[in-house]
Amino acid sequence: MSHTSRSDTPSNSTAPAFDFASTDASVVAAAAEDETAAYDLAGLAEATGATMTLLESVERAGLLLPHHVDESGTARYSEADARAVRAGMTLLDAGLPLGELLEIAKHTDAAVRSIAEPAVEAFLRFVRDPVHGTSTTPDEAAERLVTAYQRMLPATETLVAHHLRRALLHTAAQRASE
Amino acid sequence: MNLSSRVTTRWLDDHRPLLDFVPDGTSPWAWLHEGDGLVGWGTAFTSEPGSGPDRFAHSQHAFDEIAEHAVIDDEVLLPGTGLVAFGSFAFADDNPTSLLVVPRIAVGRRGGATWLTTITVDGQPHIADDLRDAASPRVPAVSDRPRYAGSSIPDVNWLEAVATAVDRIRGGHLDKVVLARDVALWSRHRFDVIDIAARLNRRFASCYTFIADGLAGATPELLAARFDRQVTSRVLAGTAARGTDTDHDDQLGSELADSPKEQWEHRLAVQSVRNVLEAVSDHVSGDDHPFLLKLENVQHLATDFTAEVRDDESALEVAAALHPTAAVGGFPRQPALDLITELEQMDRGRYAAPVGWVDAKRNGEWGIALRCAQFEGARARLFAGVGVVEGSLPEAELAETRLKLLAMQSVIGASDD
Repeated sequence: MSHTSRSDTPSNSTAPAFDFASTDASVVAAAAEDETAAYDLAGLAEATGATMTLLESVERAGLLLPHHVDESGTARYSEADARAVRAGMTLLDAGLPLGELLEIAKHTDAAVRSIAEPAVEAFLRFVRDPVHGTSTTPDEAAERLVTAYQRMLPATETLVAHHLRRALLHTAAQRASE
Repeated sequence: MNLSSRVTTRWLDDHRPLLDFVPDGTSPWAWLHEGDGLVGWGTAFTSEPGSGPDRFAHSQHAFDEIAEHAVIDDEVLLPGTGLVAFGSFAFADDNPTSLLVVPRIAVGRRGGATWLTTITVDGQPHIADDLRDAASPRVPAVSDRPRYAGSSIPDVNWLEAVATAVDRIRGGHLDKVVLARDVALWSRHRFDVIDIAARLNRRFASCYTFIADGLAGATPELLAARFDRQVTSRVLAGTAARGTDTDHDDQLGSELADSPKEQWEHRLAVQSVRNVLEAVSDHVSGDDHPFLLKLENVQHLATDFTAEVRDDESALEVAAALHPTAAVGGFPRQPALDLITELEQMDRGRYAAPVGWVDAKRNGEWGIALRCAQFEGARARLFAGVGVVEGSLPEAELAETRLKLLAMQSVIGASDD
């Protein structure tokens, strides 16, 4: 095989061999670091007005994922996490029972994970691999990947959120007469 | 008030399901178990004993007086024949809604044999054979789905209550407390309580189905039964789900049987029942080890007790002595009751309290009103509770009560089986 396509691994192509694993990890961190994770769980409770009992329950149920876990093992949460908690509390205030909200959250968790997996897979195959295959230096690859992440993450969020919104409205309209 | 009555019990050659005897437009009482049972309607006498710990004794006393003044002509002479009363008591001492009712008509069945009892208060017109015509079977009322109308406290607050209870238990204040919550439902049409009870009876065939002044449910908990001089009581504490197949079911069952937490919870309940039975009866004997009782939707650790009445206590009096057990209050009893009052912020009404029947021969069967709902026209209030112990997780207890409430709601809402 003398000629390889862009999406093949670069080790047997003309691209330089460099440490993609560490590059990718730092790229992910750089792209995801949209903000600081200022809160531990108690801080998150204080920032949102949620009780520790509520946050601990939601966290044990696997429905409150930390921004990251710091070197001391403490789960850290960001302002985006605080916004999500406040959104949950808005639903509770509107009259949705917590038990139902947790059930919906479990479905959401399962559904978004099933979206996240193929979305990341597509990114790796059709964006990252070509970048690695066509960059001449690690720095160039990293820069291109950070740019790609920063464009694609909000675009994906918008796409999925928009579709959910449309699906919610369609379902609500269909069931309006019940 | 005229306490004199004429009571007649006759064999009845009619094999319809007991609920099918109940005429339209009546608010019936019922106690059904595996084909046997009693249904009654109309009111010959009512005892409303008010609040207080003596509410059971007051009602038993009132019933004894009625029995003294009754002329009983009973050709059947089985438990439940002759003069009989249905009752449903409040969980808490300070709730005034307890009542014991002697119906005007009762139909009973035991071992497949059926009887009819009519009770006529002297001076009131005789109402005989007021049975639904066998040729016109009951048609369930038009039904709408049950619709949510809120809870006494938001379940997010109930989550806090469970967490507080766990803290108190860890702090050594008590070992176990049962915390319940409720859900209010409404419907476009009035709920058909008889139809709902019939569905409960089919769905939970091994439970005791009851209707008691609008409170209807199917309970697995037999607090106290007395037939002749023998008393039986079944303790259920420790619960697991049923498996998806036989192997899975057996696995869940043995995990339940081997779990130190569940065994410990069961022992607490067994000990509290044994102590009471020994105080009011002789020859108390119970299983050394709990057995697995497999019900339609859950399996329990169960212990059966038998005993013999010492001073001719009625079934109601034995039940009164046992109430509230660790299965509905907690352990130790008083700190648990205090904590329930503090944390539940809800009136249990007659939920989690004795429901059943007693006859003039002092026989009777009394269960604990669990898995039930209080119906009033097009409104209903459902209850569910869980035992909270040291290792309880609030979100798991919330999920368990949610499933219990949904199970009850699905029976209420089912248009057929």
